[in-house]
Amino acid sequence: MHEIRVGEDLRDRNREIAAENREHLRAHGIVALNVMSAPGAGKTSLLVRSIPLLAARHAVGVIEGDIQTTTDAERVAALGVPVYQIQTGGVCHLDAAMVHSALHRLDLDAIDLLIVENVGNLVCPAEFDLGEDARIMLLSVSEGDDKPKKYPLMFHEAQLLVLNKIDLLPHVVFDLEKARRESREIQPALDIIELSCATGEGIDRFTDWIDRFVEKARGR
Amino acid sequence: MHETALMTNLLAIVERAARDGGGGAVRVVHARIGEFAGVNVDALRFAFEALSPGTAAAGGRLECEIVPLRLRCRSCGADGPSSEFVLACGACGSTDMEIVGGREMEVDYILTDDEPPESGAGR
Repeated sequence: MHEIRVGEDLRDRNREIAAENREHLRAHGIVALNVMSAPGAGKTSLLVRSIPLLAARHAVGVIEGDIQTTTDAERVAALGVPVYQIQTGGVCHLDAAMVHSALHRLDLDAIDLLIVENVGNLVCPAEFDLGEDARIMLLSVSEGDDKPKKYPLMFHEAQLLVLNKIDLLPHVVFDLEKARRESREIQPALDIIELSCATGEGIDRFTDWIDRFVEKARGR
Repeated sequence: MHETALMTNLLAIVERAARDGGGGAVRVVHARIGEFAGVNVDALRFAFEALSPGTAAAGGRLECEIVPLRLRCRSCGADGPSSEFVLACGACGSTDMEIVGGREMEVDYILTDDEPPESGAGR
């Protein structure tokens, strides 16, 4: 028998493509955000609520990731921004190669802020760099305050945590303080914003965060 | 889960390593999987059984070593296993911590026969 040392990561190929995406986006002056959450946390609703505000200051483009259907892309397209829908056909997360193909379907000269809505999943998207500048994690209060501890990597990888559906707080068991504290144990640098896509409360805090982030990213 | 997609990458890595390493038949593939890598080892084994026939890894055995979470403090240098995913240093209290183990998804080494199979055999 003959031992061959390998030491190669299964994600190396994804990282290479993600680095190409990042370079490609930079070259076009585009800041990219990867929005992740469990199914039903409100990713598309957050886009539908915030894009009209963001579009006043940014040239927004959207990539939608879903296992099937184009309903999310249709909801976003109704806002009048360019959108491309990726259907992963069963794959539980977006990977850099899928985003690479999508970038070729969008007019990158017409965009300066790209929002990628990942497939709803609390595990897999964490390990797949897409070439984004920041990750935004969405947790709705109806999912429970134990999720940061249960799915730490997703929270660890995020720069911003959005706690959605705060209008439901009187009706669900969700300890805001605990969720904030445990998320920051996992990612001490995490920004946290509470909002409701149903009532619109706090959406301006979210768009303000994006404005600040974009400004910082461009100054780099 | 995405174990099938990961297995395709694993098999490509094994194929290249076996070829570069002399072309002997692959007997063992030793993978290191972090406990927080989001990989289900049973699903990974199943994907190996399903996808390895017809590749360089055909007939080989997949070994999965689970790597526990390990954190290192950038402030005081404390370094050790951690039972909990909490980025706060037990020694000095700093939150400037780095994850140095527990997220692996890699092919560590492979074991192959010393000689390539007779011409026409194998692969």
